[in-house]
Amino acid sequence: MLLKYLNMIKMYKKAGSKIISVYWFAMILLVAGGIFGMVYLFYSHPYDVRELEAEALSNSIANCLSNQGEINKAILDSEGFNESFKNNFLEECHLNLNSEDIFGGIPQYYLEIHFFNSNNLEKSLFNFSEGNLNLISSCEIQKEKEYQREAVCLEKEFFSLDKFNEELYLIKILTIVRKTEKNVK
Amino acid sequence: MFKKRNNHGKVLMENVVFIILNVMFLMILVLFISKSGQGASLLEETYSKQISLLIDSAKPGMTIVLNMEKAREIAEKNGLEFEEIIFSRDNLITVKLDENSGHSYSYFNKININLYPDSEINSYVIKILEYD
Repeated sequence: MLLKYLNMIKMYKKAGSKIISVYWFAMILLVAGGIFGMVYLFYSHPYDVRELEAEALSNSIANCLSNQGEINKAILDSEGFNESFKNNFLEECHLNLNSEDIFGGIPQYYLEIHFFNSNNLEKSLFNFSEGNLNLISSCEIQKEKEYQREAVCLEKEFFSLDKFNEELYLIKILTIVRKTEKNVK
Repeated sequence: MFKKRNNHGKVLMENVVFIILNVMFLMILVLFISKSGQGASLLEETYSKQISLLIDSAKPGMTIVLNMEKAREIAEKNGLEFEEIIFSRDNLITVKLDENSGHSYSYFNKININLYPDSEINSYVIKILEYD
């Protein structure tokens, strides 16, 4: 049996066989290992949907603040900006900023809204914010370079008229979504 | 003359075996890659995030039909009924395709939803009701 096996090896060696070549097996193992590693790395990272979420949140707020180019009457009426809207902003815009238990009750969003008169874009006439103020530092850090483990910031701005179509206002919305543990490894 | 022909046959046979082994190796790799993208945990994460984002972008009166054929296959393989793989609690969507796993993702839209399976079309229907 052993003799037969040795003869077989000899035969393969003689023909310069590719089948039992050590190099060939080494190459196969290297390629398989490389592909396995790449697939594992690719699928072990969660999908990062924070940018999409920030975009959806920002659109939702924009729709709440202005409808068909006119500022919501609950915010701006003939007497000016309505302060009570600030306190009920989440209720008025049908938003719920509670997140999963994994975050230990710490809010994972921050929203900031500014209204400017189109004649003076320097001074904000009316502004309010909601959520976790600590997240705003993520935007400062990421001004030059993007860091995956920091919260995602999205700024949106658009013009809207008051209900009498007399004044034009610039509305700036800053949306920040953290949820790092659910979106980044 | 006869010996030479015999050697040719041996070389041909070796090449055939070599090609067959290479093809087998490639097939195993392709199978591994395609299987990797269909794991229960990966689908749970994808579906929970997808449904949450759909609800976030939805408005009252909308009806969303989400095809979940792949999820159904995996859940039934793992002994779970199609009717019990997705559930919504508070503002959290949970997808569970295996007894020992599950993925949840929250949505910010404060809205009432009605989530139910439609087994005939392997889909889940999300009815967006009025604002909460």
